[in-house]
Amino acid sequence: MRMRLPSGVFYQTYKQDQALWPTAFVKLRMWGLLVFLFVIFPQVASPYWLSLANLVGYTILSAMGVQLLIGYTGQVTLGHAAFIAAGAYTCAVLVLQYHIPYPLAFLAAMIVAGLWSVLFGLPSARVKGFYLIMTTMAAQFITVDFIITQYVSRIGERGHSFSLPPGTLSIGPWVIQSDRDVYYLMIALVTLSVLAMTNLARTRIGRAWMAIRDHDIAAEALGINIVAYKLLAFFMAGVFGGMAGALWIASLFAVSPEHFTWSWSLWLVGVILIGGLGSNYGTIFGSLFMTLVMEALRNAVTMLAPLFPALETSFLFIKEAAFGLAIILFLLYEPNGLAYRWWQIKNYIHLWPFSYE
Amino acid sequence: MIKHGGVIITTITILTLLVLALGCGPQATPAAQAPVGEIPIGSINDTTGPTSDVGKDYAAGIQDAIRWINDHGGVNGKRIRLILNDYGYRVPEAITIYKRYRDIDKVVAVLGWGTGDTSALAPTVAKDQIPYISASYSGELTDPSKTPYNFFAASDYSTNARAALLAWYEEIWLKDDRFKAEREAGKKPRIVMFYSFPTPYSSAPIKALKEFAQLLGFEIGPDQDISLTALDAKSQVLAAKEFNPHVIWHGNTTQSVATAIRDAKALGLQADHLVNNWGFDENFLRLLGPQAEGVIGIAVSAFYGEDVPGMDRVKEAAQKYNPALKERTIRTVQAWANVMLLYEALKKADAAGQLNGPGIKAAIESFRDLDIGLGVPPLTYTPDDHRPTSKVRIYIVRNGKFELLKLVDLKEKFADQWPKWKGY
Repeated sequence: MRMRLPSGVFYQTYKQDQALWPTAFVKLRMWGLLVFLFVIFPQVASPYWLSLANLVGYTILSAMGVQLLIGYTGQVTLGHAAFIAAGAYTCAVLVLQYHIPYPLAFLAAMIVAGLWSVLFGLPSARVKGFYLIMTTMAAQFITVDFIITQYVSRIGERGHSFSLPPGTLSIGPWVIQSDRDVYYLMIALVTLSVLAMTNLARTRIGRAWMAIRDHDIAAEALGINIVAYKLLAFFMAGVFGGMAGALWIASLFAVSPEHFTWSWSLWLVGVILIGGLGSNYGTIFGSLFMTLVMEALRNAVTMLAPLFPALETSFLFIKEAAFGLAIILFLLYEPNGLAYRWWQIKNYIHLWPFSYE
Repeated sequence: MIKHGGVIITTITILTLLVLALGCGPQATPAAQAPVGEIPIGSINDTTGPTSDVGKDYAAGIQDAIRWINDHGGVNGKRIRLILNDYGYRVPEAITIYKRYRDIDKVVAVLGWGTGDTSALAPTVAKDQIPYISASYSGELTDPSKTPYNFFAASDYSTNARAALLAWYEEIWLKDDRFKAEREAGKKPRIVMFYSFPTPYSSAPIKALKEFAQLLGFEIGPDQDISLTALDAKSQVLAAKEFNPHVIWHGNTTQSVATAIRDAKALGLQADHLVNNWGFDENFLRLLGPQAEGVIGIAVSAFYGEDVPGMDRVKEAAQKYNPALKERTIRTVQAWANVMLLYEALKKADAAGQLNGPGIKAAIESFRDLDIGLGVPPLTYTPDDHRPTSKVRIYIVRNGKFELLKLVDLKEKFADQWPKWKGY
């Protein structure tokens, strides 16, 4: 009896070819990761690590929409914080003012943020490039500095910070109050979003987006309805933003227009630039990197402060400066972002010990 | 293919992970407690953000005061370990720093900064039972049924604003010859408020101020939104000019208030100016020069270098520990005031063997007319009212110097209203 061993991975059906996790090894790895994220990490991590993880998750959800618009569809946006704010405020107002259950308010927040984003995506039918940057910036200032600050945040005479003390938000009998509760909610949302994003990118919709990104005139010649797909991209980006906003109010117990500044919009663009454009890995790595580097720099300052007390006051800007330096280094040496580095490392391991390059 | 740049990126990543692990790993385990006889205190400050115009000096004051305590016997012999961090006035960062202090450094109390982050954290610190002594003097933080663990050693913003308006009304509107004709014609005084709408610090006393202005019979004009980092306030000044106010309330910090007053003078807006305490300091005089003349403002403690009890050590510590900072201001003194309140509470809690959150809270709430010097009025805290004092000193700038216009005691003047004003 002869044994036939494949000398590689062969797909025998289209289904196999299209599988998200094609091989047993990848399946094992991904299940391992999921078990770690859903079971092990929340059990062993201290509240501090959990709150860091929550910040990373919030950044991932926030940056996901930016990635979709810039990385997949090529529509540069500098006002994404506006849609996160729209989501956060919709959710907060519905819960506080109208006593609507959190899950319903959450869904409403996603839809409102999506539609709001479509409204500001409309100019993309006519303009691109720098002009689109201007219209998305307008979204930031119209939404946060004008509508929310002047009107929405005054609903119910609450002052400018809507406070949602621990225990206000609950899903059915489950009251979201500790960092661990928020973590579970966050990790579920992030997993679903990453899955949704991956699948969107693999289908007709995602391919249409990428065609628009790479050459919009050619895409139109191929019969893609450019306006509809651009608006769909804005809608989905807004939905992710709304999700981030509605999660954020659970994590912070409060919401204020201060949380959604223009610098947060810019920051999110920085996240996907460092992480890598046009890839889900990029969003995730970028968020991890940006959050953890900031935290590490803070720790470095705190550790060294007893030795050099001047560090605490005179050299705090080093943190900000080091951050700017990191972005410059990335643009110079790794313009494809961390996702590309990850891809290289994977290839290096796959091909080892015979890497022919 | 590993490029040269890749090595740099990889190094950054590895270094990051290393610092993260070193910074949080070992201490994160519950076994690693602070050395016996050391009291960890966390401080959250703004030295780079939009309020750094007043925040840098405050942070230096915190450092000075804690080091002075440590060099003078500490808290009944125990040293204070101060962990100070900048958060750039970004609320989310303040929250991660706070969680770090709570979980890793295991602080017994926190010295905080802005209104936005302090009120966002208030429910959490109440749950964690960690006393939080803020540089935000927001009236919202004074109702213990809502924010039981929030304290500060100064009159609150709402009390300040009411007191300043009352002082202007009594000393200027009712006495000054400029307003004689209008007064006798039975005209109402008109006020416009300049502040940054989205900044909780700036908007905190507005509701109280409006109510009080109505009580005194003011006409209130349209609010004007001026950001904390404004370099220009001309359009707001022009909008205010249409209403032709007699007096303007400035609710921002020094830089922004100076900008607004400069533009008001440049555009010929004839009105008096009232400034909240974080907009009124020595730098204000330097920025405006002769244009500061006649401006009325609030000071919650003595100005730096004023001849009051306790100022010697403030000056001594400033020269000894932060000699590089040349021009210290009232912010240093305000920082000292908050630290001195904490110091007194720590001593009392330690003596009672209760050096923990509830113990420190109980100690603060037992203070009646506590005198910490530094030109701060006697401080009283009770379990159902955290408003430290009803006495506010209102100053006016005359000949380039601060001159006391009036010492207002709101409780004495409005005994019936005072209890109702708690908490906003």
